[in-house]
Amino acid sequence: MALDNQKNREFKIVGTRPDRPDGLDKVTGRAKFGADAYATGMLHAAILRSPHAHAKIIRISTEKAEKLPGVKAIVTREDFSKKVTGENWNVLENVMAGDTALYDGHAIAAVAATSSLIARDALKLMEVEYEILPHVTDVDKAMGKSAPVIRAGASDKSVPEGLHPNVVRYHESGHGDLSAGFEAADLVIEDTFKTEATHQGYIEPHACLAQLGGDGKGELWCCTQGHFHVQKTCAALLDIETSALRVTASEIGGGFGGKTAIFIEPVALALSRKTNRPVKLVMNRSEVFRATGPTSSTSMDIKIGMKKDGTITAGSGVFRLQGGAFPGAPMEFTAMCAFAPYNLENVKQIGYDVLSNRPKQAAYRAPGSPMAAFAVESIIDELCNRLELDPIEVRLKNASREGTKASFGPKWDRIGLVECLEAAKQHPHYSAPLKKGQGRGVSSGFWFNHGGETAVTLALSEDGTAALSVGTPDIGGSRASMCQMAAEELGISYDKVRTTIADTATLGYNEVSHGSRVTYASGLATIKAARDAVKKLCARAAKKWNIDEEAVIWEDGFAKPSGPNAGDFEPIPLAKLTKSMGRTGGPIVGHFEATPEGAGVSFATHIVDAEVDQETGRAHVVRYTVVQDAGKAIHPSYVEGQYQGGAAQGIGWALNEEYIYGEDGRLQNTGFLDYRIPVASDLPMIDTVIIEVANPGHPYGVRGVGETSICPPLAAIANAVSNAAGVRLKELPMSPVRILEAIKNKT
Amino acid sequence: MQKITFILNGEEVSLEVLSSTTTLLDWLREEKKLTGTKEGCNEGDCGACTVLVTDLKKGRTEHKALNACILFLPQLDGKAVRTIEGLASKTSDLRIQEEMISNHSSQCGFCTPGIVVSLLTAQLNKDKNYDDILAGNLCRCTGYTPIIDAAIAAEKTAKMPVWVKADNNKLKKISTNKKSKQSKLFLPQTIKDLEKWCTKNPEGILVGGATDVGLWVTKKLMDLKQICFIGQISEMSQIKTANQSLNIGACTTIETLRNNIKTSHPEFSELLRRYGSTQVRNAATIGGNIANGSPIGDSSPALIALGATISLNLKGKHRTIPIEEFFIKYGIQNKQKGEFIESINMPRKEGNFRCYKISKRFDQDISAICGCFNITIKKDTIINARIAFGGMAEIPKRAIAVENFLMGSSWSDETISKACLEFENDFNPISDMRASSQYRNLVAKNLLKKYFIELSKTEKNTNVLRVKI
Repeated sequence: MALDNQKNREFKIVGTRPDRPDGLDKVTGRAKFGADAYATGMLHAAILRSPHAHAKIIRISTEKAEKLPGVKAIVTREDFSKKVTGENWNVLENVMAGDTALYDGHAIAAVAATSSLIARDALKLMEVEYEILPHVTDVDKAMGKSAPVIRAGASDKSVPEGLHPNVVRYHESGHGDLSAGFEAADLVIEDTFKTEATHQGYIEPHACLAQLGGDGKGELWCCTQGHFHVQKTCAALLDIETSALRVTASEIGGGFGGKTAIFIEPVALALSRKTNRPVKLVMNRSEVFRATGPTSSTSMDIKIGMKKDGTITAGSGVFRLQGGAFPGAPMEFTAMCAFAPYNLENVKQIGYDVLSNRPKQAAYRAPGSPMAAFAVESIIDELCNRLELDPIEVRLKNASREGTKASFGPKWDRIGLVECLEAAKQHPHYSAPLKKGQGRGVSSGFWFNHGGETAVTLALSEDGTAALSVGTPDIGGSRASMCQMAAEELGISYDKVRTTIADTATLGYNEVSHGSRVTYASGLATIKAARDAVKKLCARAAKKWNIDEEAVIWEDGFAKPSGPNAGDFEPIPLAKLTKSMGRTGGPIVGHFEATPEGAGVSFATHIVDAEVDQETGRAHVVRYTVVQDAGKAIHPSYVEGQYQGGAAQGIGWALNEEYIYGEDGRLQNTGFLDYRIPVASDLPMIDTVIIEVANPGHPYGVRGVGETSICPPLAAIANAVSNAAGVRLKELPMSPVRILEAIKNKT
Repeated sequence: MQKITFILNGEEVSLEVLSSTTTLLDWLREEKKLTGTKEGCNEGDCGACTVLVTDLKKGRTEHKALNACILFLPQLDGKAVRTIEGLASKTSDLRIQEEMISNHSSQCGFCTPGIVVSLLTAQLNKDKNYDDILAGNLCRCTGYTPIIDAAIAAEKTAKMPVWVKADNNKLKKISTNKKSKQSKLFLPQTIKDLEKWCTKNPEGILVGGATDVGLWVTKKLMDLKQICFIGQISEMSQIKTANQSLNIGACTTIETLRNNIKTSHPEFSELLRRYGSTQVRNAATIGGNIANGSPIGDSSPALIALGATISLNLKGKHRTIPIEEFFIKYGIQNKQKGEFIESINMPRKEGNFRCYKISKRFDQDISAICGCFNITIKKDTIINARIAFGGMAEIPKRAIAVENFLMGSSWSDETISKACLEFENDFNPISDMRASSQYRNLVAKNLLKKYFIELSKTEKNTNVLRVKI
């Protein structure tokens, strides 16, 4: 996509901080989220879940439950399509177990009843006979010789021979000569790191309201990051036609990747089809933890060599990720992101995707990248400490730049890593003195960003306002930035544009709101759709003036003759053109449908100060600064919001949050009572610096910002805590127990 | 007939309560379709369901932020409730809402209604300690900075919402309603009423604030039959000074107690500040926290170290026991059928009392260990030692061996080091998801050392255990 006018353009609306268009809805409780919809005659559903980590399902008895007054239908795997294959088969197997329960919380059956209380009572009356099988939940153990085979034959062709059948995918990339590289180093450090699985922790549990008739036509309301994806997948799982199911995305109460996956919608649709009534299905918090998509847990070996002057001579990494009982742990992302901030002559990364008896992992903000940064940046920090080098200088010396070769192959386009590192170095935080007991850590992080299928429509109304329809659910204020971009192009004021998340019947296919793609791709599409509308506006003016369309230009909301040769006509404002559009050719609508591929990658550098209590092992973050390249910040407040949000989640992940499985393979901390996400006092005020190195692939230079912000925190906090504690922490989360243990073992 | 009356968003509501354990949240969302109040966890952690409840107590208005998910309808009798929908008809009516918009304090916006209610309640109570106010409102998107910015900005021009006065007047009106005999049995107003209920229902469950029993219903899906709400008994909600002790009614909320003892018992008060969140402290009662016998309840080890006693009532007959004698073993307390805790007595000053709550998160978390120390020293000799721990045994428990070792010894590094060895004779803690056995053992010793350092040296805040609020 050509860079049309990002240089030297003076923006009027882009770059300002207007109130979001849905601000009032949010503060008054008017915004309708997943569980806020009701329908006449609606039934309530509940899901029966496996209490076992791994068990064969011998028999499901539903007779007693069916007799309970108020129970209208029960569904099992039998009620879904038998024809699905590939990833859709994995989704179905996760949505409703086939012959085996693969993890604690795996759905076995579901019931619809006249009240949620009756539905839950009915679950108690269902009897399931299980044959309990051996289980494994740890990634290293799952690769070990004695591990039970979770699914025979699940490995794809990439996996080398001789590995345990639980290894289902393999990745290898890199270049150069590793042994020569390590040979050339003055110091080589090699170590192993582990991170536990975490959950996105969105506050809104999954919820939907479904209606599906015997004719295969249906309506679905749900909280999702991508309703077109829900539509396509549900249609396949229920064996109905895609276009026959209209899906509307509700307001979404947080997703962070976790609502790109599908868990309950097909179940509600199946129950609705069976009862011919609308069915509402809402997860409770414990179901969210047990049976949605947390991150992978990881085990990683890293080896890096460095010269005394800070030059990195070689780096290698082995990344083992378990992603639950299904293929798909993002180990290739982990591998590819690991050394991305460094320009290395000799580098190699290997990834393993490993099955275990845990729920199917889902994306969580830059899936796989934060863990890689934790492992690699910890070793870099240790090398800097031992060689007495400044950690930012070392990162600058080895930084990836435009034209250098990435560790995973391609040459970098224009990127902003050096600018981030320079800004971090100049930031007062980096030179501020530390108090006794405190330590400082820095880290860089990388994320690819994504474009993806996108369709946008911009319809002009007779009064000169614009109705913009986008297909990417607004997960962090994107409606504001869409309004800004449309208004900027049309030359009308921000509040004259209304952005709606259109349903699946209104627009062409839109990929999920993921990959930090919304402001980039829907933004690009909005700009192009607005320009399409402008072209049509100019044509109407040309018609009126009886001149060539090319002789009309658009400036600040007015059609004007392009120059003296075009003729001397009074400029016509947008509202005047739209007022007469019925008579001049009909409705004026701008469109854009494409798959933009120029999503610029993004880098960030974080600085963290932490202190550690030597007697109890408690760590606390006292100061935090985020420096990140946004390309171009459309609405700086929401860019800062993404920076702060990523850092806040990173603090939780680094210090506190983890999935704790018992010996029995059951998840022990299934609520916010014991899965502690940060509260206000856990977080410092997080300072932010926006760097703008324009992305050549977007008209205004936008790069996605949502995910890169969670890439550096684990590493930056681990470095700060390790420096404060005087001992290297190699396992996340750095809970008081782990820190105190490390301090104890040091002496 | 079990009938209750309360004010909802300015309108009087009279209800026949079919199930005593219908939560306010379910009723608001399912019956009234007031969906601005959100369900995020259904166990009082996330605060997405925060509502404002106003109560008239002896003519004084009390505004509380409460979690609607673990608040049963009968607990609202005679009170006024405001949900997010009832706060303002347009945003300019409410500064906090305006500031939340212009400071971009919402990303997804799901937690926003609960946060608006919490901040408004704080404003009515002239409270500006935002970390504390928001400890019970989880936001996963923002990192809280823009929310706190909005709260501070709203301080300047905050005005009292117009409905506050109107709600008060309506409250006065319904408070003069005559209670039927039936409803008195269901919602006792006096200790005598409660004695009668307990005599009739010796196996019954008493509910103070429902912060624990609420979870029996919403999480364990228990069907509770014999249940009696006691939070409204004013005789049991008072704090009285008598001789050398404070007499605390069992239905005193944690928040009321915390506020009352800020000067007399600063350490205990600070421990109570870290008890749950504002919403939880506003509901939970001190009697309930003791009576449930949890090994990780925070008030019990503190009260043991302070030397508190509890007064139990069985059909009008009283007996008083040291609080540590109340805890027999896990799930079993020194309490007869039909007997209830009426009040707690503790010394008027806390002296050398210190307590350390060790949890993964600083605010709103369950203790892995709660260590409480109260040692009296005279001329460098220890003349009295009371040490109690939560999280180290199946009940809140005294460290008798450590205490015995300390008694009569000199107050010195050496004594403390030796005393630490005695912990092994007192405790054999379990490993669970909150901490390992080794960690608990090590930290118990380290806390005694910390206590020694804090008591003997001028350097008070030795560490990050205390976050400055």
